[in-house]
Amino acid sequence: MADERVEVVLRVNGRDHRLEVSPRWTLSDVLRHQVGLTGTHVGCEQGVCGACTVLLDGEPVRSCLIFGVQAEGHNVTTVEGITPESGLSPLQEAFRKHHALQCGYCTPGMLLTAQALLDREPNPSEETIREALTGNLCRCTGYQFIVDAVMAARGQGRGA
Amino acid sequence: MAEVLRPQMMGARVSRVEDPRLLSGQARFLDDIQVPGMLEVAFVRSPHAAAKIVAIDADAARRLPGVYAVITHQECPIVLWNQESYKVGQPALADGDVAYVGQPVVAVIAENRYIAEDAAELVRVEYQTLTPVWDMRDAIHEKPRRVHEQAENVFFQKSRQTPGFDEAFAAAPHHLKASFRTNRQTAVTMEPRGTAAMLDAASGRLTVYASTQSPHRMREDICTLLDIPEHLVRVIVPEVGGGFGMKATCYPEDVVVAHAAVKYRKPVKWISDRLESLESDVHARDDIHDVEVAFDDDGKIIAIKDHLMADGGAYPAYPWSGAEGETGLAARVLTGPYDIPYLATEIDCTYSNKTPLGAYRGVWGPIASFIQEGLVDRVARHLKLDPADVRRRNMIRKEQFPYRNAARMIYDEGSYLESMEEALKLIGYEDFRHRQAQLRQQGRYVGVGISVFVEPTAMASSEAGEVGYESCTIRIEPSGRVTAALGLGPSGQGHETTMAQILSDQLGVPLEDIVVLHGDTDSAPYGGGTGGSRSGPIGGGAALVAGRQMREKLIKYAAHLLEASEDDIELGDGKAWVTGVPDRSLTIRTIAQTAYLDVSKIPEGMPIGLEVTGRYLPKRPVTFSNGTHIAEVEVDVHTGVVKVTRYAVANDCGRVINPTIVEGQIHGGVAQGIGAAVLEALRYDEDGQLVTTSLLDYLLPESTDVPRIQVQHIETPSDGEGGIKGMAEGSLIAAPAAVACAISDALAPFGGMVDTLPVTPEMVLKMVQNS
Ligand code: FES
Ligand code: FES
Repeated sequence: MADERVEVVLRVNGRDHRLEVSPRWTLSDVLRHQVGLTGTHVGCEQGVCGACTVLLDGEPVRSCLIFGVQAEGHNVTTVEGITPESGLSPLQEAFRKHHALQCGYCTPGMLLTAQALLDREPNPSEETIREALTGNLCRCTGYQFIVDAVMAARGQGRGA
Repeated sequence: MAEVLRPQMMGARVSRVEDPRLLSGQARFLDDIQVPGMLEVAFVRSPHAAAKIVAIDADAARRLPGVYAVITHQECPIVLWNQESYKVGQPALADGDVAYVGQPVVAVIAENRYIAEDAAELVRVEYQTLTPVWDMRDAIHEKPRRVHEQAENVFFQKSRQTPGFDEAFAAAPHHLKASFRTNRQTAVTMEPRGTAAMLDAASGRLTVYASTQSPHRMREDICTLLDIPEHLVRVIVPEVGGGFGMKATCYPEDVVVAHAAVKYRKPVKWISDRLESLESDVHARDDIHDVEVAFDDDGKIIAIKDHLMADGGAYPAYPWSGAEGETGLAARVLTGPYDIPYLATEIDCTYSNKTPLGAYRGVWGPIASFIQEGLVDRVARHLKLDPADVRRRNMIRKEQFPYRNAARMIYDEGSYLESMEEALKLIGYEDFRHRQAQLRQQGRYVGVGISVFVEPTAMASSEAGEVGYESCTIRIEPSGRVTAALGLGPSGQGHETTMAQILSDQLGVPLEDIVVLHGDTDSAPYGGGTGGSRSGPIGGGAALVAGRQMREKLIKYAAHLLEASEDDIELGDGKAWVTGVPDRSLTIRTIAQTAYLDVSKIPEGMPIGLEVTGRYLPKRPVTFSNGTHIAEVEVDVHTGVVKVTRYAVANDCGRVINPTIVEGQIHGGVAQGIGAAVLEALRYDEDGQLVTTSLLDYLLPESTDVPRIQVQHIETPSDGEGGIKGMAEGSLIAAPAAVACAISDALAPFGGMVDTLPVTPEMVLKMVQNS
């Protein structure tokens, strides 16, 4: 349990970060507390809720289930990384327009899961969207407006 | 007229002002608060349901590098005890014994959470276990023993009966008996609980960051328990990732963190992990009702008799037990929307060796609706009548308002029958019965469940406490922009938007020129906070009252500066003008500059500046929202799996501030209701061990578990400010009953009826096999 530190270089949202981390720190903790990107949320640390979802080379992963050191050599994308410099992305705009968030705690994870789906499959059906979101729990919205938002964002790309 | 008035904001589908920060990852939740030198806490919790503590050895933990302190009850001798109501209270850290799995025993304070958890594992606590008290019916009879030696297990008891009950009950031609059981559930906010506290070295004031629904109540609780005067404590509520009543309580961990910050003069933080949440967030819905119903040949219900029992867990949550809330109000609103003249209720709330019971959205309602609608369906089935018809025959009619129910609650006007007819249309009830018959021929079992609900809102006292009013401060800044503050504690309801909508109409300024502050006792006027569906009607009412006061000021200014009569001044679009002469106008900004910077022009007798605080205390002790939910389900009789396939809601919460937000709340409540009906249960084994300790065991509804929900609004305004009624709980009050009734309907060919929530696949299979 010694708290030894190792040096890693993590590529997050297109920038390299040289960090001293403990090998047992989860990627979510490293992103939140070392890189300072607190948009990634932690809801269970059990790999179930999906709040901590980030993209690793474009694929959604649960950042509470992997260690920070394991992300070295990969491209990590967080919610901050899919947010344009000014304003919101088409998907984020759709979330706002369709009231797809209430407390907003699950939202970053939802956005990343949905973005990865839309990147892969620009025109998914409602059923495909619901299937893709099963790993992201939301306690507030009952999902309907989230599904509506993702449907509305189909075919719009990631925006600027 | 040259001026184009902005549309009325009240009632408009306005996008939320909260959203951009939440969507871009810029919102600040509790765990995002980090200050230099901040220490983190991990708790050593009881692994036993009931035990004496023989010894605690924390030496190894204390020696671990990075550990700052290890504290027990000796160092932190605080008890969360509301002595006016209860004979026992919970020590913030266990004092000599433990009474539930997950009870905090030792707090380890270290440089970071990883080290704190390592050290917590090094703490050795020696226990001598006791027989756990875990069966509710046994516990009520003091078996196998008392949970607390100094107190009887039954800590809350109450009987009430409508005069003439016995005669009416006995004279009725038909009687049925049933026992209803709801299993323990909990709110499961996606953001776990957490607290951070720090002293301001200069002033000696304590700042507590709390993930709570009631900022002022939290301040009061911290002040009382830590014995600090109120002006020296500031509570700040950051972004809250869901509350649902569960965050309306002051917890032992809150108190330990605040205590440690004061004692060590260090910033201290604790964030719950999911295991801790499931075992230490207040639980809810642990109730049994033994019910009898009396009715006539037409299905008119004459009388209901109910023995309400609730397992309150090991201690009353602070400052009150959820068991009392669940049974107390259920006993008063058990007849729901029906005109049932006679009611007899008897309540027993008991201690047990389980987690304390507190509030969860709907509190009494999901249980009472389950029983009320379950009884109506039993009556219908017994008499071979259509369930919708039996509801029609029993429903309170328009001309009966204001209606006094059998427990003497006064209902203000609602749209009970209308809401049911609307919902029946939405779901296509007639058509459904044909479809159901056809599918049964093919061996497929579908059913509909009708749940007509009433929702008492804006009550004088609620889970948010005993403060029956709300306050709103409005300050128009010299620039003409508006800063408003309320004592609410939103956790996703969008109050920054809805309160701004109300103010925008009153002040005639655009929405984007208004900022609504909340959740900071230094800036917010004293208020009750958020809970019991009170923020819309009471908070919104306060915004209306304060808005009107400010509006009058603006009109006085404009009349004076434009040399017109006050009666001729209109406000809108950031301007004031003389009716019919739009050129004679000035901006709100000009008025504000006069009020602060050009004070010689202030109208005679008016103070410098533009600031008001308005308060609103509703005249009625309660206003009732209502509506009808109808669920359609398909039950797989081979696997026992229930799928909710269609869902319709007709909802009446008086005048709607923002229909989109109301619909979002309804969707969320329905999803939670589906969870309550078929998925969610906290299970204990016979040793009193909680066995559902992760979200893999405690199942929440996923995106594929919730169907599309059709919502229709009906508006029967209240006679309070703005005609607003509360609405956050109605959907969860109604939904479990709707799904339960639908399952009973689907399985009608097998004869049984649902009497326990959640309905598990095993239960379904049993109902099928028993036929
Ligand atoms: S926090 Fe990672 S899945 Fe819940
Ligand atoms: S918006 Fe609150 S958990 Fe999804």
